[in-house]
Amino acid sequence: MPSSQALIANPLIVLREEFDDWAILFDPDTSHSYGLNPVSVFIYKRLDGKHSFEEIVSELRSECQNAPDDAETDVQQFLDDLLAKGLAGHAAQQR
Amino acid sequence: MRTMLTPRSVDLSITNRCNLNCTYCYHFESKGNSGRDLPTEDWLHFFEELNRCAVIDVTLAGGEPFLRKDFRELIDGIVKNKMRYSILTNGTLVIEEMAAYIASTKRCNSVQVSIDGSWPGPHDAFRGEGNFERAVAGLQRLKAQGIPMTVRVTIHRHNVDDLEAIARFLLEEIGLPSFSTNSAGYVGQCRSHSEDVQLTIEERTRAMETLLLLNEHYNGRISAAAGPLAEAKHWLEMETARRDGDESHADCGQLRSCGGVFSKMAVRADGEMVPCSQMSHIELGRINQVDLKETWQHHPELLRLRERRTISLADFEFCKDCPYIPYCRGNCPALAYTLTGEENHPSPDACLKRFLEAGGRLPERRNQPQQDCC
Ligand code: SF4
Ligand code: SF4
Repeated sequence: MPSSQALIANPLIVLREEFDDWAILFDPDTSHSYGLNPVSVFIYKRLDGKHSFEEIVSELRSECQNAPDDAETDVQQFLDDLLAKGLAGHAAQQR
Repeated sequence: MRTMLTPRSVDLSITNRCNLNCTYCYHFESKGNSGRDLPTEDWLHFFEELNRCAVIDVTLAGGEPFLRKDFRELIDGIVKNKMRYSILTNGTLVIEEMAAYIASTKRCNSVQVSIDGSWPGPHDAFRGEGNFERAVAGLQRLKAQGIPMTVRVTIHRHNVDDLEAIARFLLEEIGLPSFSTNSAGYVGQCRSHSEDVQLTIEERTRAMETLLLLNEHYNGRISAAAGPLAEAKHWLEMETARRDGDESHADCGQLRSCGGVFSKMAVRADGEMVPCSQMSHIELGRINQVDLKETWQHHPELLRLRERRTISLADFEFCKDCPYIPYCRGNCPALAYTLTGEENHPSPDACLKRFLEAGGRLPERRNQPQQDCC
């Protein structure tokens, strides 16, 4: 993924927050669900087609005191995973 | 047990009407059968709130849900709002077009059809003549469309000696992967026909033995959250623990049954929210008038039912000196209410001590392939 290109959460997927900032992503068409930890929820909520990768990482660093030095790698891995599973996609380019 | 931020699933009684009038119907003669059916737009509006609350499953029940003329519209609303659904039906109104439509949505978790016999006699005895054939035909139409289906067998005095044939019919002839059982309980219309319908202690003992054997034979393909099979499994565990002098079992010794109020709730056909369709007397507020999330998190009646888990069985005169206290969960609050007038009380109907005192016997312990939990 080009790091500056904004991602958008798949609108057909349900983000269900259950307890203590943990959540699941639920695909009603397949019944599959994926567990998200609080950091993943934080990132997922910013997949609005407006936040760039750099902005997400920067907000994560300012909100989360214990963000590791290589937070970029973790965020990248998580986003790649979402893309691979069809849980997020690239936002359409604005003309 | 922690409460979810919003319910994960909601049971919707979408109509009070039914084309049958089964002798032991839990719906008729209960508070659930109240008021008029909600119009389509009220349900559709509520589905939007369910979507905002990220509810993922609804169960459509009644009465008989297929009696609603707007059934497809309701399903479309559920699909549009990113939910999946299950249907509880008597099966008699499942026509081919409807089965095809359900299959086309790809969002149906299961359709549960009530079938109480391997032949018309035991089924029609309490559900009306011709309804066995109609229900089986409905089941076949669902099967032809590849819809996940299940059958619920309600055990009563007219089918307790037909259980082997029922298992063979459903699992071998019809080819279901599994089916579930319960027994006619002292709720709704059954209260007026209890003597004709509900199992005697001797019949209950026989049903437990037969169902354990059948479940072993069919490799765990028979399930139960209540009724003789569930009781046989749970009571055998309790008796073994007592004999072996076990420490208290996890989740036992208090009114721990059931966990439903931590993850699901229900709505009556008139739009009143209730904790569970079997506790339709506890009114929590109307849909589209009160906020679902707020009700779920803060309604005093729901908090009271959730607090139930902290009430010790030893505090009840009912359980005084009972050796099973460390292994008992106090059973269904809805049934406790119909029998004692109090939800926060052990249910006398599923009480092992009372069962044994009344002359009931536990079956031989067998290796059960699958555990059910209520
Ligand atoms: S038990 Fe079911 S099928 Fe029978 S009358 Fe009641 S709602 Fe109708
Ligand atoms: S009296 Fe019945 S409900 Fe009470 S602890 Fe004993 S078995 Fe359980």
